[in-house]
Amino acid sequence: MQTIIENLQKHFQVVSYHQQRENLGFLIASKEVAVGLITHLRDYEGFAHLVLLTAVDWIEDEHFQLTYLLHHPEKKVDLGVRVMISRENAEMYSIHHLWEQARTYQRELREMFGINFPGSPDVDKPFILEGWEEIPPYRRDFDTKEYSEKTYFPRPGRETHDPAEYMKKKLYPNE
Amino acid sequence: MTKLNDILSPFTAWKHVVREPVTIKDPLNREAADRYRGFHKNDISECIGCGTCESICQNAAIDLVPVDGVETKDGDSGLRPRVDYGRCCWCGLCVDVCTTNSLSLSNEYTWVDEDPDNFRFVPGAENKSWDNREKGYKKPGNGYELYSPVRESMEELEPEQRDQSFIEIVQGYSKEQAEKEADRCVECGICVATCPAHMGIPEYIKAIRNDDLNEGLRVLYDTNPLPEICGRICTHKCETVCSVGHHGDPLSIRWLKRYIADQNPAEEYKKILNTETLQPTGKKVAIIGSGPSGLSAAHYLALMGYQCTIYEKLPAAGGMMRFGIPEYRLPYDQLDKDINYILSLGVEIKYNMTIGKDITLEELNKQYDAVFSGTGLHMGRSTRVPGTDHPEVYQAVDLLRDIVLGNEVPVKEKIVVIGGGNVAMDITRSLARLQKQKFGKVDMLTTSLESEDIMPADREEVIEAREENAVIDPGWGPVEIETEGDKVKGLHVVKCLSVFDENRRFAPKFDEEQKKFFPADMVVESIGQGMDLSYLSEEFKEQLKMDPRGRILVNDDFQTSVDWLFAGGDMIQGPDVIHGIANGHKAAMGIDKYLSDK
Ligand SMILES: Cc1cc2nc3c(=O)[nH]c(=O)nc-3n(C[C@H](O)[C@H](O)[C@H](O)COP(=O)(O)OP(=O)(O)OC[C@H]3O[C@@H](n4cnc5c(N)ncnc54)[C@H](O)[C@@H]3O)c2cc1C
Ligand code: SF4
Ligand code: SF4
Repeated sequence: MQTIIENLQKHFQVVSYHQQRENLGFLIASKEVAVGLITHLRDYEGFAHLVLLTAVDWIEDEHFQLTYLLHHPEKKVDLGVRVMISRENAEMYSIHHLWEQARTYQRELREMFGINFPGSPDVDKPFILEGWEEIPPYRRDFDTKEYSEKTYFPRPGRETHDPAEYMKKKLYPNE
Repeated sequence: MTKLNDILSPFTAWKHVVREPVTIKDPLNREAADRYRGFHKNDISECIGCGTCESICQNAAIDLVPVDGVETKDGDSGLRPRVDYGRCCWCGLCVDVCTTNSLSLSNEYTWVDEDPDNFRFVPGAENKSWDNREKGYKKPGNGYELYSPVRESMEELEPEQRDQSFIEIVQGYSKEQAEKEADRCVECGICVATCPAHMGIPEYIKAIRNDDLNEGLRVLYDTNPLPEICGRICTHKCETVCSVGHHGDPLSIRWLKRYIADQNPAEEYKKILNTETLQPTGKKVAIIGSGPSGLSAAHYLALMGYQCTIYEKLPAAGGMMRFGIPEYRLPYDQLDKDINYILSLGVEIKYNMTIGKDITLEELNKQYDAVFSGTGLHMGRSTRVPGTDHPEVYQAVDLLRDIVLGNEVPVKEKIVVIGGGNVAMDITRSLARLQKQKFGKVDMLTTSLESEDIMPADREEVIEAREENAVIDPGWGPVEIETEGDKVKGLHVVKCLSVFDENRRFAPKFDEEQKKFFPADMVVESIGQGMDLSYLSEEFKEQLKMDPRGRILVNDDFQTSVDWLFAGGDMIQGPDVIHGIANGHKAAMGIDKYLSDK
């Protein structure tokens, strides 16, 4: 793995590299170099398989973190490429031309986080949420609880108790 | 607004009618993967009904409900989570956050039932076939906690920096530390019942998180008018039940309280607490003793518009908080900050006034509408072994009082203390400081009946006393103090095998064969205090009902059998500051009720 990384650093600017396990590492690349770097990994280093593409909302830092997890079938190692993109007008270059299935991940990220991938086929088509009108639900500023409370009415017969209030009632009702 | 799609979708759904159903009965009855997240399991004997699982659930799928056979008690609400599987999305957040690790998910995910209401049940309380399954999802181990299990550490003076002086040892939290510590609270409120004053603990911790320390102060004063004091020396029973303490350190509730009080400047208290003007009722209440119970009663009575006068035997206010608790644990300026605020509400103190000597209780009754008495426990008890009446044998509380009054305190080169409680540690550590100042070295030995594991003193007190070079040698029963003329030679002891009998009654057993002699030229007894009710005349005592343990009998309002006399503090309950505060508060409300009805 180390040699792959050293090799990579000759061609691309890699911001940081972290070896999590013997067969798993993560690097951070900028938005501009990421697709070139991933192409290089696929075509010259043998990372033939895209395991997944996913995102994390770092709302405090005002960015999304994309992770492209790539697998090397011969060496049996995984490499995660992390890319930070701005939360505002979140947009990333598509990689559907590298792996056909990337379009599905990108469609999901579009729907769940509101990250756009211009040119990715069907990226604007609803993925699993039909008729969704709220902000994308995986964004951390989406209030899941509020949404479920207003959307799904409670079944009749439900009641709850606040522990402190209940203890007062049971243990010291007159104080 | 109805959208075209809404109208059309029922029709578009028709196209699925002729399709094969997507869901089928599982013909193989396959077991799910080992860590699959299926129906909940809950070990309800471990669960404490803190409701944290309910709070975190983003689908509002959990309710907390009473369960037959589960009792509400200190540290356990008696409630248990009930899950509505019509809403649960199997995310497992409830498991990840559970404070006791009682909650988990089995890997069972198939269950057919005709009655939808059956899909709402209390895991662990209603038997299910998956209750004993090992497989499923459990909270991952260390490093995956949703809140930190580790308490923010507190800066303290090193032993070398503190053993010669009485300056405060504990330094207090910074803003950053306090906010980090406050962040660990899950806001369950389990601690509130255990606090004798039922303080709004989760609310004031929340005020710290929100950096709204004025609000924090208001929450404190709702139930406790001595927060600088309690923030330092409270017995903090609340921390023993904190949910977070089940897997990690409990919240540092006491230090957080101190942080709020420390950060609010005394000059602004009246503005923050909205007590700049109070509506007088025209009625007057006399209070005997300026200990925590008397001060608390005065505070809440003053807020209700009563004119309060405290009669205090000693030349300064605070009772045992000033004349017992040493300055290195509770500095006088902090004590005064709390007391002065109460005085600023119009409470008057008459110092050097002993009831029963300078004025009688009956006279107080004539001059005031009601009387509250909180005279505490001040007479040191003696072991009564031979030699205790020697002049070089002292009582801890007397010496502690003399240190504060600035009276000359006898300090010998070799001192033995008898007692294993906090008062014994206070006198040991105070005398150790004085020895260090006078002789440049410490030679203190403290011994108690109780062995190390059952010593009543707080653990940290024992550790810190040892750090300050005092010897603590517990588990010995005093037999005799050997004396020779006007000199004490030392203390003879025998091994104490046990202190209590099966019924938890005091019945020490000794091994007379195992003996020891602790040489000393001064002995201090610190085995407890009794009350001094000599201010009650004989006729008055006849009218006053006592409880079987010889204490003045009071009702829920802390009213005695003589209707104008209320009583609280160590005489009635405790003994600690927070019970005194709670008693004083309740008595104040009782007095208000009594005087409003009159
Ligand atoms: C050494 C020591 C250390 C302690 N450490 C702690 C601790 O760390 N934490 C904690 O919570 N508790 C501690 N306590 C216990 C705590 O101080 C007491 O529980 C508390 O002060 C009791 O309050 P009170 O209101 O009953 O009255 P006290 O504090 O006992 O005060 C009674 C007041 O009444 C006055 N008085 C008595 N008789 C008369 C009279 N006839 N006329 C006029 N005035 C009178 C006394 O002078 C005194 O000021 C400690 C006690 C001691 C002795
Ligand atoms: S979080 Fe755990 S301990 Fe608290 S109520 Fe839920 S299951 Fe019980
Ligand atoms: S301090 Fe502990 S017991 Fe009290 S509310 Fe916070 S977590 Fe619950």
